[in-house]
Amino acid sequence: MKGLSVGEKLFIEGGIAQDLRTDGRRRLTYRPISVETDVISQANGSARVRMGGTEVIATVKAELGRPNAMQPDKGKVSIFVDCSPTAEPTFEGRGGEELATELSVSLERCLLGGKSGAGAGIDLSSLIVVEGKLCWDLYIEGLVVSSDGNLLDALGAAIKAALSNTGIPKVNVSAEASANEQPEVDVSDEEFLQFDTSGVPVIVTLTKVGRHYIVDATLEEESQMSSAISISVNRHCHVCGLTKRGGAGVDPSVILDMISVGKHVSEQLLNKLDSEIAAAEADEEE
Amino acid sequence: MAKKATPATSTYSPSPTTHKTRPPIFRSDDVDWVRPDGRAFHQCRPAFFRTGAVNAASGSAYAEFGNTKVIVSVFGPRESKKAMMYSDIGRLNCSVSYTTFSTPVRGQGSENKEFSSMLHKALEGAIILETFPKTTVDVFALVLESGGSDLPVVISCASLALADAGIMLYDLVASVSVSCFGKNLLIDPALEEENYQDGSLMITCMPSRYEVTQLTITGEWSTAKINEGMQLCLDASCKLVTIMRSCLKESAATVSEE
Repeated sequence: MKGLSVGEKLFIEGGIAQDLRTDGRRRLTYRPISVETDVISQANGSARVRMGGTEVIATVKAELGRPNAMQPDKGKVSIFVDCSPTAEPTFEGRGGEELATELSVSLERCLLGGKSGAGAGIDLSSLIVVEGKLCWDLYIEGLVVSSDGNLLDALGAAIKAALSNTGIPKVNVSAEASANEQPEVDVSDEEFLQFDTSGVPVIVTLTKVGRHYIVDATLEEESQMSSAISISVNRHCHVCGLTKRGGAGVDPSVILDMISVGKHVSEQLLNKLDSEIAAAEADEEE
Repeated sequence: MAKKATPATSTYSPSPTTHKTRPPIFRSDDVDWVRPDGRAFHQCRPAFFRTGAVNAASGSAYAEFGNTKVIVSVFGPRESKKAMMYSDIGRLNCSVSYTTFSTPVRGQGSENKEFSSMLHKALEGAIILETFPKTTVDVFALVLESGGSDLPVVISCASLALADAGIMLYDLVASVSVSCFGKNLLIDPALEEENYQDGSLMITCMPSRYEVTQLTITGEWSTAKINEGMQLCLDASCKLVTIMRSCLKESAATVSEE
């Protein structure tokens, strides 16, 4: 939490009430977003996203594993977030752990859908190699490089970009093995399969300061929030996950209003992000 | 889904998954299916609350919803740890743990590591922290048996334990979740229902103030369905809070008799 004087707090709150924030933005305007893909060559896919002073890196690693016995026709995806002390000294040691857990749980909730796999941004059945025996395990890792508020939206955007950058090696299953044995496989290092990321939702966090809500809050603005709601919305304008932060109670009708505002904002963000990702990938090919 | 996990083997080997009951197969087009415990879609499990479950604690409560059994004790307000910085409002420390035997597979409860912070967020808006500066209130929840909707039960039970400890609250906090199966919404899902759900929505609220302190949604939801789910949950938590309140009155009555 940043130490702000009473004057600074009033300045931030007053600005938000008058729809002119301290950095000149309006309440529902994002900071400029820049996307760079394929930044980590060791990973199957990676991306770096910058939103003003916030910078995050997301990587995707794919490993062959065994599918869960409960769901033999689906692969597995897990999301981890690391808050590095390079971003903020308070993240040192176990300091960042709480925030990291909160972020990774929110991301899993927003991107991976329900238990049965419905509403997931990633089609889990596309990760299966041999049903019941072999599947791809996706390890999605987010790293907070520098933190200036709105980490969840930035991480969500970075994961979306990293997934569209991800190539999964083609697997040739050689000779049908008997029922109990693990099949022998040959992992190709030349042919890669691309993901369909059109279904991956974007995350929009609405931060409530006073009676108004703002998107893409900076760290200073976040310290003044009473509560915040993160909504993940997909192309079909359906809500895929929702998390509330901050302990203050909110009237149910306000939440519904925030959801509809979030949906409206998400549409613009989704288009902006898609064009940024496309531009980043075009850059990379040159 | 009904496929057997492992092929038949000649020697005995414990199956990694539990098949005590047949896995229920839910289909959205089938309107006639009944829930495993015979409830209607919009019917909650019978709730049981009892305060004063632990003698050593300042306040405690036990809750039982079907197979879900939790115990919550509240310690404090007591002096904050020396390493903590000065704070002119009180601190809330929450921890949720599972017994190793609470889940079908031993030790599975440790998967829910986010529950502690969720409990914290659900409760902190309801507690008047200004009334105990420089001190900490510890809320320890233990899930004795996990039978579905664990977190909502823990949250409701914890607010009852806080009230039992005499901590100043704006209102009791009640929590209810719904599961979504295709077009249907099922309130207060049991464990086997949670394992096959398409999505879930959990609300914790303060019914007399009509404020939501915590809300989580997973899976794909349309706005109309969110509306329906929220209304269902808010309605159920209003009813739940009357049960909690009567439990508090009961225990207060027995104390004054003695």
